[in-house]
Amino acid sequence: MHILSTIIEALPYILEGTLVTLLLVAGALSVGFCLGVPMAVTQVYAPKPFSRLVSFYVWFFRGVPVLLLLFLFYYGLFGLMGIDVGTVGASCLVLGMTSAAYQSQIFRGAILSLPTGQLKAGRALGFTDLQSIRTIILPQALRLSIPGWSNEYSILLKDSAMCFALGTPEIMARTHFVASRTYEHLPLYITAGLIYFLITLAGVTMLRRLEQKVRIPGYNTAGM
Amino acid sequence: MKRLSCLLAALAVLCLAAGAQAKTYVNGIDANYPPFAYVSEDGKPAGFDVDSMNWIAKHMGFEVVHQPMDWDGIIPALLNKKIDMVCSGMSVSPERAAVVAFSDPYYTIQKVILVPANSPIATADAAIRGEIKLGVQRGTNEHELLETRKAQEKLKYDLRFYDSAPLAVEDLLNGRIDAIALDSAPAKDAISKGKAVKIVGTFAEDDVFGVALRKDDKELIGIINEGYKKLMADPYWKELQDKYLK
Repeated sequence: MHILSTIIEALPYILEGTLVTLLLVAGALSVGFCLGVPMAVTQVYAPKPFSRLVSFYVWFFRGVPVLLLLFLFYYGLFGLMGIDVGTVGASCLVLGMTSAAYQSQIFRGAILSLPTGQLKAGRALGFTDLQSIRTIILPQALRLSIPGWSNEYSILLKDSAMCFALGTPEIMARTHFVASRTYEHLPLYITAGLIYFLITLAGVTMLRRLEQKVRIPGYNTAGM
Repeated sequence: MKRLSCLLAALAVLCLAAGAQAKTYVNGIDANYPPFAYVSEDGKPAGFDVDSMNWIAKHMGFEVVHQPMDWDGIIPALLNKKIDMVCSGMSVSPERAAVVAFSDPYYTIQKVILVPANSPIATADAAIRGEIKLGVQRGTNEHELLETRKAQEKLKYDLRFYDSAPLAVEDLLNGRIDAIALDSAPAKDAISKGKAVKIVGTFAEDDVFGVALRKDDKELIGIINEGYKKLMADPYWKELQDKYLK
């Protein structure tokens, strides 16, 4: 009974952290999307030096732990560059830049799965390459990316727990604070786990719905 | 557009007004360190250090915001001006004093050994010289000290590191470690919360707590030292100790 009352008492405080976590995930996914799509296009279609540059970016961000990147950017690079966006902003940016590396590969895979003839067909119709990519390739590729992208959502959600390293008051940090005061570590961690589970479930379900909703009836790539 | 510029102007005026009123300093705290700093039931920073600094802020004419941080990153945050001070049970040590400035000491704390209530370990010396698993919070003075002593005196304990004292207490009760080396305040906090643990003695000389500040921030160093002088002369100082440290 005592444990239950501790959890109930702590719940509003931890749920406030849920908003921070959701903000982190939404921000990071957006940053990752905005960087990831051009990166994927560059990697597939741009001349060698540019695609090499993107490959290097992807190699770097996939090769270094998120926790290290958080420290590196927040205490080091952002300071040198004179960027001060607060802890939540910095967490969003770092998670977003990491996510961009992964997202770009999701989009690249989707673009590569499309028949190469589409770009040529576009040219034959008088489209510039950029026009073809924007109006023919990407609308298909992005639809194909949704399943892989929902993976990225759940991974980012869990990575966001590391942002406490910068003092970002998200779910995990708050759970830890309450546990330190009450010494009810296990029940509180289980509570936090349930919250993460529910957010994952809700997000993945929503993305599944989106996938159904934007599907083009009768469309498949196999016949092309 | 017009509305937006109005809003911006209002905001700018507000900022200026706030700036003129009082300076706001950010105090980085380790909110996993009761009773010196923690997060209370209503989600606000609380504790001996938080209340002390609030009193000092009020009487020295500045605003203070308490920012819970990860202990591992708290000194980099201070040096990078993400925060302005660390008033959160920080022991003064030569290693730390090399990079940050400390205020005058405001509290003396013992370094104790905590064991389960039914443990066969009877003294701190027995713990330190025994072949035991000894828990310690990572990045603390105790951590430094125990590593140095282990190497110098060829002691046999096996150090296990934790993010916070309460987590170490939890693992002590789980039976994964035999004893914890920590400050007396969090040890007493665990006991007062009904945990089946006991203190068997001190294992090192006492430490003093000071407020960590940037070395070039001479103005704030002066304000904080002056503030503590006032606070210690006030009956509120005794009240705070009774409230948190009994």
